[in-house]
Parts: sequence; structure tokens; C-alpha cells
Amino acid sequence: MELETDKAVVEVPSSVSGTIKEILVKEGDKIKVGQVIFTADNNGAAAVAEPARKAEPSSKGATATPVQSPSGERAAAATKLQPSSPVAPTSQSAPQPTRATGPVAASEFRLQELGENISEGELVRLMIAPGVKVSEGQPVMELETEKAVVEVPSSVSGVVNEVKVKEGEKIKVGQVIFTLQGSASSPTEAVRPARGPVEHVSGQHGARLAFQAAIRAEGKTEEQALPPDQPRPHPAAFSMPAQLGKVAGTEHREAVPAAPHTRRLAREIGVDVYEVKGTGPGGRISEDDVKAHAKALVTAVAAAAQAPPRAGHFIEPKLPDFAKWGKIERVSMRGVRRKTAEHLAESWNTIPHVTQQDRADITELEQLRARFAPKAEQAGGKMTVTAIALKVCAAALKVFPQFNATIDMEEEEIIYKQYIHIGVAADTDRGLLVPVIRDVDKKNIVELAVELSQLSQKARDKKITLAEMEGGTFTITNLGGIGGTGFTPIVNHPEVAILGLSRSRTEPEWIAGKFEPRLILPLSLSYDHRLIDGADAARFLRWVAEAFEQPFLLSVQG
Amino acid sequence: MNETLITPLDGTPEDAEKLRIAVVGGGPGGYAAAFLAADLDMQVTLIDPEANPGGVCLYRGCIPSKALLHVAKLIEESQQSKNWGIEFPPPKIDLARLRTWKESVVKKLTGGLGQLSKQRHVEYIQGRAAFDNSTTLRISKTDNSEVVLSFDRIILATGSRPAIVPVFKLDSPRLMDSTGALNLEDIPGSLLVVGGGYIGLELGSVYAALGTRVTVVEMLPGLLPGADRDLVLPLHKRLEKMFAAILLNTTVASLKEDGGGIRATFEGTAVQEKDREQTFDRVLVSVGRKPNSEIPGLHTTQVHVGPRGFIEVNKQLQTADPAIYAIGDVVGEPMLAHKASHEGRVAAEAIAGHKVAFEPNAIPAVVFTDPEVAWCGLTETQAEKEKREIKVAKFPWGASGRAVTLDRPDGMTKLIVDPHTERVLGVGIVGAGAGELIAEGVLAIEMAALASDIAMTIHPHPTLSETVMESAEVFFGTSTHVFRPKHG
Repeated sequence: MELETDKAVVEVPSSVSGTIKEILVKEGDKIKVGQVIFTADNNGAAAVAEPARKAEPSSKGATATPVQSPSGERAAAATKLQPSSPVAPTSQSAPQPTRATGPVAASEFRLQELGENISEGELVRLMIAPGVKVSEGQPVMELETEKAVVEVPSSVSGVVNEVKVKEGEKIKVGQVIFTLQGSASSPTEAVRPARGPVEHVSGQHGARLAFQAAIRAEGKTEEQALPPDQPRPHPAAFSMPAQLGKVAGTEHREAVPAAPHTRRLAREIGVDVYEVKGTGPGGRISEDDVKAHAKALVTAVAAAAQAPPRAGHFIEPKLPDFAKWGKIERVSMRGVRRKTAEHLAESWNTIPHVTQQDRADITELEQLRARFAPKAEQAGGKMTVTAIALKVCAAALKVFPQFNATIDMEEEEIIYKQYIHIGVAADTDRGLLVPVIRDVDKKNIVELAVELSQLSQKARDKKITLAEMEGGTFTITNLGGIGGTGFTPIVNHPEVAILGLSRSRTEPEWIAGKFEPRLILPLSLSYDHRLIDGADAARFLRWVAEAFEQPFLLSVQG
Repeated sequence: MNETLITPLDGTPEDAEKLRIAVVGGGPGGYAAAFLAADLDMQVTLIDPEANPGGVCLYRGCIPSKALLHVAKLIEESQQSKNWGIEFPPPKIDLARLRTWKESVVKKLTGGLGQLSKQRHVEYIQGRAAFDNSTTLRISKTDNSEVVLSFDRIILATGSRPAIVPVFKLDSPRLMDSTGALNLEDIPGSLLVVGGGYIGLELGSVYAALGTRVTVVEMLPGLLPGADRDLVLPLHKRLEKMFAAILLNTTVASLKEDGGGIRATFEGTAVQEKDREQTFDRVLVSVGRKPNSEIPGLHTTQVHVGPRGFIEVNKQLQTADPAIYAIGDVVGEPMLAHKASHEGRVAAEAIAGHKVAFEPNAIPAVVFTDPEVAWCGLTETQAEKEKREIKVAKFPWGASGRAVTLDRPDGMTKLIVDPHTERVLGVGIVGAGAGELIAEGVLAIEMAALASDIAMTIHPHPTLSETVMESAEVFFGTSTHVFRPKHG
């Protein structure tokens, strides 16, 4: 049998032997991993063949299929039968990319990628019905994900034929939402490329990078979700391949012994044709060689996937039966709560935390804040300590770039970010959300106050988008509104530091030989000790405290 | 000038969703890109100063020169036919009609491209484009109006122009570049061709056939720099007979208007003292071409132009500005129409989101002189430079039945082969019709054919294509006809 996955046509070897009794699938069917393909008569005992696990990782690097939902269940790799003989394992017919597959009767819309780490959502509101005309970009439903309620726009145009989902249902990325009637022949995403400036690293190299990333990235969904031709967004805006010698494309990689068609196939399925061993005369690489190479890679991934979980990952001990001691109630832990639990456990398990405490005398700052509060109010924001802290931290991050970084243990590299996007933890009735304010260093305090007010409101109204909660480089959490004299915040991985603010109080300070009442803000900085040394953390926090104490400095330095 | 801001389509919703592409330059690269983009369901605007697509190739390059070379060949053969017992009186040349015919060829082909644009609903704007920013073009139309349009992606296919060396800057109607030479204003008594590359030799051949005394000056030690010497030799021999003189290792020190002509002063060891100063009726300067990368407003984009004036692109032909692609002469050597077209198609597909790259294993080069010289893939010169181990198999056309029947044994076909894998890495051909024959070599290289694949492929008899098969047989030392001319 040949299956067309998002990445390539894959031959599926039978895992059983015997005489085929009944074939349970048709050409053109979508087949999920685990689905029964045929039953075989095996010495009298009926055996059931499932598609090999191999098909599964091959969908990993593919555009929009999530690989692993956070809870660890695998998203089914939807595959389609290639129109070729269903049983005989022939590979003669040329594999085509999805978009080129013959006439598609009715095109369909599948749930596309929603954002970082989001693989499913609950359908809150459906805005379409059979017979309704939709056009690309038109919102067709509202989904509540773990982080926010999002409107999902259609990527196809036409008349809705059948709606395949119901309100209240959980929908996974890649799931078919509706099908279209008749002629609208653009099948899902493939035909129309994204309009935004798309970054292209050279095709082969890019495809390879992505493929390798997919192989390595057990559990790193954002990497897996990258389409093979668009490797991770690079900080440098453009990566020019080695200078284009004299002739574009003939720089020093010798001509590879593979026909143009074979080279294109390799590029399409993300195989570097230069790595394929040709079995033909003179080392000529055939289409079969490319496929065999791809399969070998995919098998390697499958093997890796079965390897035990990474060291350092803690397996929770089994819980006792609490009902033995009294009445209990079990409530499903959904949405934001579950996401928070997973994410914080991951941060805690990954990062060796240390928390540094300090105090800032904000007596003068408080006077300034009160004076400028009306100005911020006029602009539609609130001049809070958090807004000022944003500005202070942005300035501090410029002075201490290792606090604006990420550790890549796999590559053994430190990633320094050349932008400063700060997340601010917001307490909402759905739980903890962290809207991110972009380019904090380029905005003044009034602008920050306005933006912070707007984003927090959005978070509370469930209107915040996933994009508005991604890409942070540092986090601030302010519990001062509630109370406390200090706490140990958990670093928001993959960031490396988080600043906690507690309640400011008027305290007696020993100044010039006597006690004076001063307003003191307690500061708690948790940091990733792998990257940041204690002394640096103390310096960083002192810098922050001094900036609070002498706001004038900030206007000079920041 | 009235400035109007219009959206490129007053469209149905369906149109509005199409990707909007502008192609700047309507040459073989530009129109190939535009047409494929339209075929891939994009909304395409093609901008060029001419009335129809075609570019230098059709208006002032490949096509008109080939029309004239066809005539030149006819004249040459009518003289050669004396040897075969057929004698013609010297030709009477009606220059006006010749020009009209050449122009009708150009018109027919460019008109056809205009038709093809319409059929594909490619919006053709006759004018010149300047950038307002990465996605906005300000187009000065030929009718003096101006439009400002924005696009999702822009493909630059602005081509190249003849290079001018300062020393030859002479305000004289007698001084021509290739465009002027193709205009064929008269048949000069004498013509100096500066530059022994393919343009100079092709146009020099045309004028020589029409009766002009042609002198070629080349500063390097050989004609057609870059081509293998054994391929150039038969051409050199024939041109020596056709031309008044071929001066190698020679430079032109000065050009001066001198009453009835242009006086040229030569420098170089190969020139005899008495020949240092000569006067010519016309001078053709063909010392290379320069990329047209000085596009107004280009600084408003992130496009990067390299030190030699070429726009830098990656394998998808995308420039440093992600919204802008560039193809053809303006992105690099070789400046050939067929390279540009292929790049244009790759760019269009890349924009459509296909996983493509421009990475041919061979780009053929053809010089349409008589005999023609054509090669593709690895050359011997290049292999030597890279110290690559190769084996060369040559088949002389004296052993080809077809070449002998044409009375054109002055040819040679050679294969450059990897001695270990026996894979064909390069093909070179000199001889009548070499340009048509080279296509088989390109296919062989692209398909990674082995010498035995070619040797065991039956080639039709009697044709010149057999020379390709027999050169592969030479590689194995088993050629049927080497040194034995074929009978029947």
C-alpha cells in the first residue's frame, strides 16, 4: 500500500503475513494511524494489520499537523491512499505533492496551526452552516484554547458542503472542519502561499535543517510544526547562501548524479539529495533511492521516539485514594489551569532556580508616579509600578544581556535576543495569563502604561490572541496589589529570569543618623543558575533597585 | 504628469485573493516568469518599455542576429557551392528589404508574445518602473502618465546592456554597439570589431558575409575566452579566411573621428608597426554587457547589489528583500536568455510556495557563428583549473557521413567523462548545427547519463547527432568510424 502523508508518499509494508481476507480501506480514503487496513487469514487465525508507526513521524515535520498534544497523546497522522494499486507495493507512480493530487471532488478546510504549543481547542461558536458561502479570511468559528478564545479564519473560499464539527467539541489541529462544494478546487493551504514576507533559506539547506529539527525535536512542537522549507525564523533577516559564484546555482557543490525530477522530489520531501546514496550505474540516484533514504530517516525517528523519556523528567508517583479519608470531588483540569500546570512543571524541572531578594526605596518615584498619573490616564492607561518596572527592566536587560537570553542545551549555545519583549503575568478569572509587550525598550512609560492596561483588559475579557502571549524574553509578576513581603517566582521557560514585585510599605530606614519613613518595594528575582551566576543576579537586581530609587537615572540611561 | 493611485484590479472577491505579482522587464526571463505566474493563478502585471514583451533577446539580440546569420550562411554556401558544381553570380543585396525581413521576424515573435500575455490575462504596462518601497512601484508609462501600484511580490528582470569602455566614448555615428550593428544602416567597407566574444564574432560574421572587410581585436590570446581551445580552433581557422584580420593580444589604445572614418590605434606585441594605426568606416564595440541594476528607488528596498553590479539572490532567486525576486542577466553570468527563462520559472514557482531551487547541472552556451560552437557542463579548461580527473573522448567530424555530405568536416564532438563512474560531465561541439546538437548533451548531464548510455542509444543515420554517440564509443575505444569516413 502507498500512503500519501503530508510529507511524502510512503510505502507501508505489511506487519503481518498471510492471505488477505478483506480490505477495509479504499483508495482516496484518509487513514489514521491505528486504523485497520485489511484482515488476513493467517493459518486460520485472523490477523489485523495496522499501518506501520513509520507513517507517523513523517507527518511531524509537516506544515500544520501537531505531533504531540501536550498530554502526550499522539495526534493521528492523517494519510491518504495514493491512487495506485491498493495492495501491491509498487512505487512506480510518481509521488505528487498534495496540491497536485488529481481532481479533488470537494475541497476542505482543516484547522490550521494555532500557535506555540497549542494543538487543540474547544469549539465555542460555529459561524457557518452547510450552503453558506465562505471566503478566505472570513472567520468561521471561535475556539477556546488553553490560552485564549480565538477566531479561526477560513483559508479556502467556496460554498460549505458539510460541517464536520459541533459546538462543544474538542478540535485538533489538522482536523477537517468543513468541506466545500464542487469547483472551488484549492485544497486547503497548499496552493496559496502566505502573503507576509516569507523567509527563504536556500531550499535544500532549509529543508534539511527542518528535517533534522523534526528528527531531534521530540516534544518541541514549534519546531516540528515548521514547514520544511521555512526553517526557524532567524534573527538575521536574511541568510544569503554562499556568494553566488559566477553562475547562480553552480557554486561549489558538484553536479549530483540525479535527474531533475529526482532532485525535485528530494527537495519536496525534505531530503538532501547529496546525502542519498545512489544505487544506479555510476552512483546515479533514482527516485527509489531518495524514498529509501527518506524511509531510513523516518525509521530512525520512530526508533528515537520509542526511546525512554529524557532524563530529568520527573514521573509523578501514583496518588492514594483520597476518598478513603472523606468526601472528595474530581473536577477536570482544563484550559489555562492545565497549561499552567504543565508549563510550570516543565520550567521547574528544567531550570535550576535561585531567587535573589532586594528592596528598592521608591519614595521619590512614588511622588513622580502620582504627578504623572493623570497624564497616563489621559492617554488611556494607568501609571502603575508595573508600567515603570517594564521600563526599568528593559533598561537593565540592555546592560545585562544574559538576562535576555535562552539556553540551547542541544546545540550547546546561548541565544541572545536582540529585542526586548516583556511578559507581564496577569491574574484573570481563568487563571494565569502572560501578555507580552513588544519592544519595551523603544516605548516610553506612558505608552507602556497604555499598552499594559489594554492588554490586561484583553486578557481578562478572553479577547487576547495567542500571538499577544508569545515571544517574551523576560517576565514581570506583580503581587503587590494583594500583599506579601517577598516570594520566589518560577522562571517562564525558555526565558532565564523573572522579576517579582511585592507590596510596597512605608518602613523606617536609617538615613544620616536617624530613622526616616521611606516607601520600600520588595523585589524578588528568580533566575536560571545554568546561565546566570549569583553575583550577576545580585548586580542585576541592585541595578534595578537603584533605577527605581533614582528615576532620574532612568531617563538618562534608558 | 497626473498621478493616479489605483488598485491593480477592480475586482471580484476572487481576484482580490490572488497573489499580485509585478514583473519588471519583459525579456525571455521576465515573460517566462510572468506567464508561469499567471498559469499558477497569480494576478500578474508585466512592465516593459517596449510595445510587446521580448526584451533585448527579441528586439536587439538573439532573434534579429540569428535572422541575419541565416542570411550570412546562405551567402557563404552560395559561394561554397562552386565546389559542388553549382555556381551563382555574386548576390545583389537589397539592404532595405533585408532589414524589413529581419524586422518582420521580430514583430511576428513579439506580437505573438503580446497575444500570449492577453490570453493569460497578464496586465501589460508599457513603461518604466521605479520603487516607492519594497512592494510599491511607480510606473512612468510611455504615454507620459504615471501609476502607482502595489504588489505582494516583485520580480526584477531588468536584464543588461552593452558595456561601454571610457576610452571608446566617442560621439560618432560610426561607433556602434550590438544594437547599432543590428540596425544594419549600411554595409560599411571596413569594420573594426572590438572584442572577440560571441557577440563580436556573430555580428562580424554577418558583416563579412555582406561584403565588409572585418578586423577583430581581442586583448586575450584567443577568441571566445572561456571556451575550450580545441572547440575554438576550427572556427578560428574559418574566420581567418572570412575576416581581413584577427588581432589577438591586442588592445585599442584610442579611437578618433578622422574625416571619412574612425582611426584606431592598436597596442600589443602581435601588431606590426605598419598596422598600428588603421582607419575603419565603422567600429563595433562588443566588450561585454553590464547588468541593469540601477533601478530607481531600489535603495528604498533591502535588495543588495554586489560589487559587479549584479543583484544578489539565493537559490529561489529571492533577493535580500523577501518581497523581491530577481532573475536573468541582472543576477549574474552567464547572461543567456535560456538561463533567464529557467530562473524566471523557478522564481514564479518559489513565489507560489513550491519547493524549488535554481540548480541546473548544466547550462548550455552556443555561439552562432559558422561553424557553431556549443558546450555545456564541465569544460576541459575548468577541469584543469580544478585539477579534476577527467577523460576526454573526441570524435572528428571528418568521420561523420553526414558532415561529409554537407561538405562540412570542420567539426568535432567531445565528451568529458568521469573516468571512475564513466558519467558524462561535459559536452563540447564545434561544427555546423552544433547549437541544435548540444541539447542532447545537456539532457545527458541532467540525467546523469553514463558514456555507455549514450553509446548504446541508437542515433538516426545519417545525422550529425551520431557524432555524440560515436564520441561515447571513442571513450570505450570502439568507435565504428573514427578515421574511416562512412560510405552509404
